[in-house]
Amino acid sequence: MSGIVWHIFVFAAILIFLIVATYRTLAIIRLPIHLRWELAPIPHEKGKQRYGGSYLEDYEWWKKPQRRSWIAPIIYMVIEIFLLRAIWRHNRALWPLTLAFHTGIYLIVGMLFFSLVSAVLIIAEVPPSVLNVFLAIVSVLAAAGYLLGGLGAISLILKRALDSGLRSFNTFSKYFNLVFLGALFTSGAYAWFSLGDFASEMSLFIKGLITLDAGIAASFPLSLHIVISLLFLIYLPFTDMIHFIAKYFTYHEVRWDDRPQDERMKKELRRLLSQPVSWSAPHVKADGKKNWIDLTTKKTNDEKEA
Amino acid sequence: MKKKLKLTDIAKDGDRPLTEINLDELVPLPPPYDKIEELPAFKQLTPDQQERLICNLDGVVSYAALPKPKTKKEEKRYVEQFVSGLKKLLSKENNWTFLQPLLLSIDYCAQCQTCCDACPIYLASGKNEIYRPTYRSEVFRRLVKKYGRPGGKLWAKLNGEDIELNWATITRLYELSYRCNLCRRCTLSCPMGVDNALIAREIRKLFSQELGWAPKELHEKGTMLQLEVGSPTGLRPHVAIDNFKFLDEEFSEATGIKVSTPWDKKGADVLFIHSAGDIISFPEGPISFSILLNAAGISWTLSSEIPGYDGVNYGVFYDDVQLAKVAIRHAQIGRKLGVKKIVMGECGHQHKALLTVADRVLTGDLDIPRENVMTFLENIVFSGKIKFDPSKNDFPVTLHDPCNLVRNLGVVEPQRRILRYLCPQFREMTPHGIDNYCCGGGGGLSVMSDVNFTDWKAHVAGRLKLKQILEAFADQPGPEVKKYMCAPCLNCKLQFRDLFEYYRVKEKSGIIFGGLGELAVNAMAIIKKPFITWGER
Repeated sequence: MSGIVWHIFVFAAILIFLIVATYRTLAIIRLPIHLRWELAPIPHEKGKQRYGGSYLEDYEWWKKPQRRSWIAPIIYMVIEIFLLRAIWRHNRALWPLTLAFHTGIYLIVGMLFFSLVSAVLIIAEVPPSVLNVFLAIVSVLAAAGYLLGGLGAISLILKRALDSGLRSFNTFSKYFNLVFLGALFTSGAYAWFSLGDFASEMSLFIKGLITLDAGIAASFPLSLHIVISLLFLIYLPFTDMIHFIAKYFTYHEVRWDDRPQDERMKKELRRLLSQPVSWSAPHVKADGKKNWIDLTTKKTNDEKEA
Repeated sequence: MKKKLKLTDIAKDGDRPLTEINLDELVPLPPPYDKIEELPAFKQLTPDQQERLICNLDGVVSYAALPKPKTKKEEKRYVEQFVSGLKKLLSKENNWTFLQPLLLSIDYCAQCQTCCDACPIYLASGKNEIYRPTYRSEVFRRLVKKYGRPGGKLWAKLNGEDIELNWATITRLYELSYRCNLCRRCTLSCPMGVDNALIAREIRKLFSQELGWAPKELHEKGTMLQLEVGSPTGLRPHVAIDNFKFLDEEFSEATGIKVSTPWDKKGADVLFIHSAGDIISFPEGPISFSILLNAAGISWTLSSEIPGYDGVNYGVFYDDVQLAKVAIRHAQIGRKLGVKKIVMGECGHQHKALLTVADRVLTGDLDIPRENVMTFLENIVFSGKIKFDPSKNDFPVTLHDPCNLVRNLGVVEPQRRILRYLCPQFREMTPHGIDNYCCGGGGGLSVMSDVNFTDWKAHVAGRLKLKQILEAFADQPGPEVKKYMCAPCLNCKLQFRDLFEYYRVKEKSGIIFGGLGELAVNAMAIIKKPFITWGER
């Protein structure tokens, strides 16, 4: 593959990922504010999170300032994301498999970050002793990431295929996603083992991208791995695998959304309540013109008509 | 023998049940409830009922009035209505109320099945596939993708997730949405935050708001009756006042202190809204609050305006429009009386509806302060205005955590602080707090009793709860030791009434149930005779 093709391919893949992921994130953000549907424990409840309590436990809570912790939700999510707490607690048999799989992904993301740093250091012509430290980190993260991720992907494919509880819920795309990620990890492991110095070659490749070097090139094992990774990057935001974005909303915007009304919310609620309703059941009495306020604030004796 | 079910089976062979419930496959109960032959049999449908009713899920019928089409054309019309409702469920105008949580739960399930072992119904059933919280959700998810998304039909075929939408599918999905307690224990266990209970509720909502299908106890004799006459119990305002007058007199005599309940007192500090079911079925509860509030010198009142004397709001179980109508009426009544706050009686879903779920429809003047009864009672108990003698409550007591009060609102500790103070032999169940098991009547199921639904509630839905109640008293299992399970929720108590009668728990194990207010009054130093009479009153 010539230099210019690499540049186009890499930057196009990143761009597509960013555009689609942003679009889908905005699509979630733009959904209207919903009715409250919180679920304990809510970690920002200072002093109460330990047992799942909320500010509603306080006598005349509306007269007191809510004591919110900003750090507790972050700690909660860090543990959830990196140690998969919910699966540890509720599905212990799955935990080692999915932990290996997800840890593999995190390590590869870390490897990419340190490869980028190494590329910058190469451009800056830092002394080899400094650069070698970063290259060593890249090498270790890559080896561990590919190994764990690969094992995780294979074990999850087997689990999906063999576990009767999971099997009936499988679809083609569920297998395809795992196989795709498995191919990514396996091709990475192949590159790591077949190249003498995976870290240097990866960092030099990234340096070529940053400097728009027309002579950028990669060996076959690394090229194969990069092509699979870029195809996955393009594919990812179109799938439910971007649950790493959705998870922010399921937790922060639903489970932990215990905000009482404020002025901004009131204004938005008035707008939402003014929307026309077209549900067809007789008791709703909607005609496509009446809005939520019309339908829900009628005198009670009207109920006899339904 | 349990049948291995596929998701696509929901559309097949629509005249027959998909699965059956065998008592020997259910989770075993401890002695003396372990002998299947000594337990009431599961009521089977008569040949006439099988002919007349839709019974194609699990041999249980929760809604006898489900229409039975006579022609294929009629079936098709209902299926088209279902698709129309499904599209409205995905629209910002018709479903702004829950669109974001619904779409997040539809789009981001990883199918890890972690939630299944959190579901008390699935576990109690001996892991019957049909009761997996994911079975219902995944069928609906696939229908949403097929009929609610561009290119959905093609994608369904290509991805191997095609589910046929026919009469069998929609009727089974309807019934299946009422095999969930909406307890949200599954949600708590989900690493993604996917909410199967919400999906079950959204399915119910689609059927109610588009097709007009909802259990009669929740709709016709539930919210509709409440908005018309004041209460799903049929209790009209003047009858409610008369009932209370009678109860005031009776309990004045029984307790030796003057009991009086104020009505429609304008400018009172507190509007207290009981559930009318409590007034009728468990009157010690409401009366205990009359005694406590008067003893603490609180300025309070009940309301006789429709539906201000019944705080239940079944809309929270199945219908946003009904939910909003009832909640708005409650808030309007509070404003009209000029109270400083509304306090709800001991009823979990009433709390959830008025405190949080309806919070964002109570805009402007209707956003009146609302307080939960556990905190309110804790403030009274520890105010020093009433003298208590905890030795009067020196019998084994355990606490049932109503899901709506605890897991859904985070009201966990106030009731425990009261119990630790007033009940020397208080002990927790396992698990408890936000990890509790539902009573089995959650999600509106406790008031539903059509055909053979009560059998299902007693054998399946309430099974794990009964097991853990018995285990909480395992050190004194016999009926010779009187034991009290505190269940501060009307709906839970209705389920316990059915459950305890079904298994004869009082006779076999000496356990009764009641609210927290009763325990507080029983411990009042001023009360000469025991307020808790172990069912003798």
